[in-house]
Amino acid sequence: MDIAALQLKMRDAFRVEATDLLAELDSSMLELESRPQDADLLNRVFRAIHTIKGSGATAGFNEMAAFTHHVEELFDEARMGRLIITHEMIDLALQAKDLIGQLLESGNPAELESTCTQVVEALARFLPQSGRPVSKSQAKAGCTPPQRQRHKIFFKPHAQVFFSGTDPINLVDELCTLGDAKVTAQIEGIPSLENLNPEQCYLAWNVELVSSQPIAKIKEVFLFVEDESEIKIESRLEPAPGETAKADPLADFLNIAGQSLLALDGFLSHLRASKESDRDCCKNYLRILKTFQAAAHRQNQKEAAALLEEQIHLLEVAITSGVILPEETKVQLEEGYQKLATLIQSLREQNQGGSKLENPAILQPDVSTVASAAEGSKKEVVRVAASIRVDQDKLDRLIQSAGELLVARNAFPLLAKKLALEHGLSGMGKEVKDAGDHISRIAEDLQAAVMSIRMMPIRTVFQRFPRMVRDIGRAQGKEVELLLEGEDTELDKTVIEQIADPLVHLVRNAADHGVESPDVREQAGKTRTGKVTLKAYNQANNVVIEVVDDGRGMDPTRLKQKAVEKGLITASAAEAMDDRSALELIFLPGLSTAEQVTGISGRGVGMDVVRSNIRQLHGTTTIESKLGFGSKITITLPASLMVSKGILVEAKGEEYVFPIDSVVQMVRLPNERIHSHAQSHFATFRNEVFPLLRLADHFACASQFSEASWPAEVPLAIVQTNRGRIGVAVDRFIGQVEVIVKPMGREFAEIAAFQGTTIMGDGRVALVINPAGFI
Amino acid sequence: MAKTIMVVDDSSSMRQMVNFTLASAGYLVVEAADGADALVKSTAQKVDLFITDLNMPNMNGIELTRQLRAAATYRFTPIVLLTTESQQEKKIEGKAAGATGWVVKPFQVEQLLAVVKKVCP
Repeated sequence: MDIAALQLKMRDAFRVEATDLLAELDSSMLELESRPQDADLLNRVFRAIHTIKGSGATAGFNEMAAFTHHVEELFDEARMGRLIITHEMIDLALQAKDLIGQLLESGNPAELESTCTQVVEALARFLPQSGRPVSKSQAKAGCTPPQRQRHKIFFKPHAQVFFSGTDPINLVDELCTLGDAKVTAQIEGIPSLENLNPEQCYLAWNVELVSSQPIAKIKEVFLFVEDESEIKIESRLEPAPGETAKADPLADFLNIAGQSLLALDGFLSHLRASKESDRDCCKNYLRILKTFQAAAHRQNQKEAAALLEEQIHLLEVAITSGVILPEETKVQLEEGYQKLATLIQSLREQNQGGSKLENPAILQPDVSTVASAAEGSKKEVVRVAASIRVDQDKLDRLIQSAGELLVARNAFPLLAKKLALEHGLSGMGKEVKDAGDHISRIAEDLQAAVMSIRMMPIRTVFQRFPRMVRDIGRAQGKEVELLLEGEDTELDKTVIEQIADPLVHLVRNAADHGVESPDVREQAGKTRTGKVTLKAYNQANNVVIEVVDDGRGMDPTRLKQKAVEKGLITASAAEAMDDRSALELIFLPGLSTAEQVTGISGRGVGMDVVRSNIRQLHGTTTIESKLGFGSKITITLPASLMVSKGILVEAKGEEYVFPIDSVVQMVRLPNERIHSHAQSHFATFRNEVFPLLRLADHFACASQFSEASWPAEVPLAIVQTNRGRIGVAVDRFIGQVEVIVKPMGREFAEIAAFQGTTIMGDGRVALVINPAGFI
Repeated sequence: MAKTIMVVDDSSSMRQMVNFTLASAGYLVVEAADGADALVKSTAQKVDLFITDLNMPNMNGIELTRQLRAAATYRFTPIVLLTTESQQEKKIEGKAAGATGWVVKPFQVEQLLAVVKKVCP
């Protein structure tokens, strides 16, 4: 894959994540507004911004990343306790957040430049000193012209180098790729086999490299190990022999000292371990001591030289006498070694900051940067669910199959029955039935698991509202508090996606039209702060969402007037209308009661769209309102659109399915309980009277009242609609079935009586009744 | 055999970006969402190189490095930190915990590949 294609893929991946992060930022920044010093929250906000910046820059959104950097800075300061987040900052940060979103979507980020600049300037005012350097990149190591140079490189990795996951030989190999190299390993440090720890590195390398690569390139090889390794690079121009490049003499000495000490340590432990004093070993030791001493003299390290002199003397005596090294001598050697080690260590500390590499800039930590202390060490309260993004088509196919399996299993009882009754194989029939039951259980599990994939908490929709309500409040000088309840209530993904717009409208209406200004509220004896509640909960197979405000409420009389004025209903119809129906007028297209059209709502488009959107989701909308006390809009939605249980019934030879959650009860009602009055049937059951209709008549010719006689016992489904219960008389109950409701084609979308169709276990098609359509 | 690289980052897009980059160079890539996730996944298969973010929920990159070094399997396995410019101190802390090196975010495709090649040739 070429890099351009990679970049494109990166950008897509980033956009997806950024959208999520921005939504999360929205809600967490608002929380932060009420708890500005909550460390966890600050960290969360910071982390989200930080990710947007980092990942964004990698994905190539440079303008966006540069802009985000400034926002990040603000929260970094806050996180470090150097400033406290105020309302103004949140305002600005929210604005910045929106800009980030726009920058991501904009094909031409330059257009937004002036807005960005304004925000950046505003942000800068909050920062301790606006003079902070924006660019933190370190000065690049000087670019030497590509001259061929001879480099003498000494590299001694730290003994524990393997534990940092570095194999030093890789680095040596890497050096070799830079030019013509001659590598010699220094093996003096390797102890005898019994003292050799295979997990330690005892080696050092000398590399003579002739290369036209700039010295920075060579240093880069050691980038990850420069702090803990001994690295020396001496360079000179290849054609000019002679002069040795100047090196740090003290560092030089310390290098030798370090190596020698390591070797001595190996020798001493060898001595400790063996009774015999190996002559060769002692000679070896002596040689090292002498080299060390020579170096000490060169460096005028008198103390070290003196210590070494003592040791050399001890050892020389021991070797010439040719006997076993006396214990006393061993102890003296040990002591001498300890002193030397301490001395070298202190010299090393004095030398700290002296350059190991020639360009000290590379080593210098960036002082302008801010430490990120203690971050991440705190347990994050917010649970981040691990997730996989799956193509929706794949998921739908899976769901479809799982659903079909559920329906297909309905064939087993039929088969069992057939075997028993038609073929006289009742034993076989039972076996088939058992197998069917087993498959059935698995199918149910599968179904439940698969459906839960599609389910999403309504939180994703709710989280946009705090921001929205806040903005409305601020824009209108109102005090509005938004309460969210039941954010974990789960709904089908499709429903979640489509419910957002209607909800936006309803919440807007509640905050903008419903809630009065603080003064008006006070006069009415209410709290100055208005309350809008957004609540979701499960009810049977449905999810109910309520939008409640404690504002001014709606006036049915005025609604009627308005509707008549606009010619939506006739005056006589208005006259006959009860309050409940009058409130329903608000769902008519073209009706708005707002005296003034504000920028936010009140154009009279919307409520009708709201209702039709919710209808498309097979949901219902009802409204309650009390003048002066507020309004409540209730949306009832099926939690899942796909598979549901149903009751299969027969009416006039046709099969129909009632969604099981709409059926309150199924009874066989004696026909004396059925009464007819004013062209309507009624039934009484358990002291309740409810309207009755005959399913067959209803669908045959909906408006006609049939006097046809009732059988002695009437099979009756008592169905819950959003206007109360009604009885639906059928000819026969067949049984309970699992159905996948498939929406009817577009041509039939207007038919409110049916939710859709379903295919039965035996392949026939049945219509699924929409109980709301009975009204 | 292709080398297996585990990418640990709580940013899914960052993981994907690293994933695309490495996959395009022929590496096998395993993703993990945080340190804890990485530890679990690292026991299921042999990983030749870890690339980890620092600031993550559940378990951060430094702790992950420490834990990996404590496990027999990964004592010597290269671990590369994904840092930002502003995390100099974290770099040092990471090295102390046993990290091999680092890549500065935002990275260029070539940069990342160069570092991977460097520590895991």
